[in-house]
Amino acid sequence: MRKLSLLVCSLMLLLLAACGGNSNNEIPPLPAGGGATAGGEAPPAATASIMGKISFEGAVPKPAKLQTGADSNCKKELFSEDTKVKDGGLANVIIYVSGGDLAGKTYAPPSTSVEIEQIDCHYIPHAFVIQVGQELSVKNGDPTLHNIHTVGDVNPQWNVGQPVKDMVNKHTFDKEEVLLPVKCDVHGWMKAFIAVVSNPFATVSAEGGAYELKLPAGKFEITAIHEKYGKQTVMVEVKDGDKTMKNFSFKASDAKSGN
Amino acid sequence: MSRSVRVAVALHEEGANIGLHRFALFTACCTAFLIFVGGLVTSTQSGLSVPDWPTTYGSNMFTFPFSKWVGGIFYEHSHRLVASFVGSLTVILAFWTWVAEKRQGVRWLAVAALGAVVAQGVLGGLTVMLLLPTSISMAHACLAQTFFCLVIAMALLTSPRWKQGLPIAFSTKTSRSSITLPLLTAVTTGAIYIQLLLGALMRHTDSGLAIRDFPLSFGRIIPHFTTSHIAIHFSHRVGALLVSVMIVWTFLTVRNEYRKNTLLRRPATVLFSLLWLQLMLGAWTVWSEKAVLITTAHVATGALVLGTSVLLMLRAWVMVPVPLREAAWR
Repeated sequence: MRKLSLLVCSLMLLLLAACGGNSNNEIPPLPAGGGATAGGEAPPAATASIMGKISFEGAVPKPAKLQTGADSNCKKELFSEDTKVKDGGLANVIIYVSGGDLAGKTYAPPSTSVEIEQIDCHYIPHAFVIQVGQELSVKNGDPTLHNIHTVGDVNPQWNVGQPVKDMVNKHTFDKEEVLLPVKCDVHGWMKAFIAVVSNPFATVSAEGGAYELKLPAGKFEITAIHEKYGKQTVMVEVKDGDKTMKNFSFKASDAKSGN
Repeated sequence: MSRSVRVAVALHEEGANIGLHRFALFTACCTAFLIFVGGLVTSTQSGLSVPDWPTTYGSNMFTFPFSKWVGGIFYEHSHRLVASFVGSLTVILAFWTWVAEKRQGVRWLAVAALGAVVAQGVLGGLTVMLLLPTSISMAHACLAQTFFCLVIAMALLTSPRWKQGLPIAFSTKTSRSSITLPLLTAVTTGAIYIQLLLGALMRHTDSGLAIRDFPLSFGRIIPHFTTSHIAIHFSHRVGALLVSVMIVWTFLTVRNEYRKNTLLRRPATVLFSLLWLQLMLGAWTVWSEKAVLITTAHVATGALVLGTSVLLMLRAWVMVPVPLREAAWR
C-alpha cells in the first residue's frame, strides 16, 4: 500500500510539473496562420478619388447596451457598434477596389503596421483595412486578460492571449478576405472586423457615413461592405485628377439576423 | 493461517472493496459534473478564451490567480481544473483497482478508464492548440461520454451487491417479446450513444439553431435541406425520436416482464423519466435560442441517460438468462 501511495504521489508531481508554466507571463507562440509576406510590384500612384456618403435607410435600431459585468475591469458603459448611424450616415462600411483594372494584381504591402487596440474591453477601431502581407499590431491597453482571435474562412485562425497590459502581438494575413471577424473569447461582446485586401485602395466610412477612396486612373469595381447590412458593388471609371461623387445606401431591412 | 487471522483478512478486504466502490461512485459523480462544466464551455463559446495549454496565460494552471478568472476564462479554466481533478481520481482508481481487485476484467476496465482519461486530456489540449477543429472537438465530446460509461461500469462492478452475485431474473410472461432484454438494452444504449454523437456534431458545427422552430421545422414536418447545418440539426431530431422509441420499448419490456425485479425496474424507470426531461430540455433549448443553462442541462442530461442505460444493460446481461452467454463480469 505504501508503494502504491508513493507511486500515486509521484504521478501527481509529474502532472503538476507538466502543467507548470514559466514565471514571467510570456506565452509561448501558438499555432498561427499567415506570416508569409506577399510579394508584388509597387502600387500605382493614387491620382484620383471617389467620395460620397454611405446613407442608411429605414428605422435606425437603438444601440444595444452591452453586458460587461463578467469582468470588473470593464467598467465603461459600452454599446453595440453594429449599426453606427449619425445624420443618416452609416459608419464602419469598408469601401475597396474589388475588381476592374486591378483584378488579379498583387501589390507589395506597406512597411507600416495597422494597429488595433483593446481599451475598456472594446476594440479600437471597430472596422479597418489591412493589405495582404501587411503587419497587424494588436495591443492590450487594459489591465485585464484579453485574447485576440481572428475567425477567418480563408485565412487560418489566429488566437493569442494577452495577459499583461500594454502587451503587443503582431500578425500578417496572407490571403485576401473581406470581412474577417475578430473576437475576444474572454469578453464575448468584443468584436471587430478586418478587410484583408490585395491592393492599397480601400477605406472605411467615418462617423456620419462620409468616405473618400483614393485611386489611380482607370476603370474599377468598387465594393462597399458592412458587417450587418451586406454589400453593394458598382463600376466606376476615373481619370487623373478626378474627384467623383458616388453615394451608397444600405437598408435596415437588409440586416442579417444573428446566430 | 488461524481462523481469526482469516476473518481479519476477509474483513479488511471487504472494507477495502467497499471503499473502492464508493471511490468509483464518487469518480462517476465528479465525471457527471465535469460533463456539465464542459458543456458550459461550449455553450458560452469559451473554448478558446485560454489560448495556451497546459499553461493558462503562461502561468501554471494550478496557481493561476482566481482574480483573473474573468469572462470566458472562468468557464474554460474551471473545466481544466475539474478535469484535472477527475483525472487524478481516475489515476487513484486505476491503481487502487489494480492492487485490490482480483477480477482481471475489472482491473483492465480500470486501466481502460485511465487510458480514456489520459486520451481525453490530450484531446482537450489539442482542441485548444488546433483552434477547435470540429473533428477533435467531437472526439473530445464523445470520449467524455465513453469515459463516463467506463466509470459507471467501474462503480457498478465493484459494488458489494454485484460481487455477491445478482439474482437471476426470470420473465413473468410466458410469451416473451421477440428480442431479449439484454439485446434490447444493448441496442438502446448504442442508439443513445449515436444520438450523443449527433448532438456533439450539432454543437460543434454551430447547427443548434439551424432550425429555429419546434416541433415543426420551418413550419414543415421535414424541412428543405438547403444547408448541411439543417441536415445535421434535423438528424438529431430524428435521432431523438428513434431513441425515444427504444427507451419506451425497453421500459415497457422491463415493466411487463420483470416488474417485480427492482434491480431492473428502477433503472428502467429512471431512464424513462430522464427521457422526458431530456426531450423537454431539447425543445426548450430551441425555444430559448440556446440559453446557456438550458443547453448545458440538455448535454448533461444526455450523459445521464446514457449512463443509466449502461447500468441497466450491464444488469440485464448478467441477470437475464440468455443462451450461450457468459457472465464474464460476475
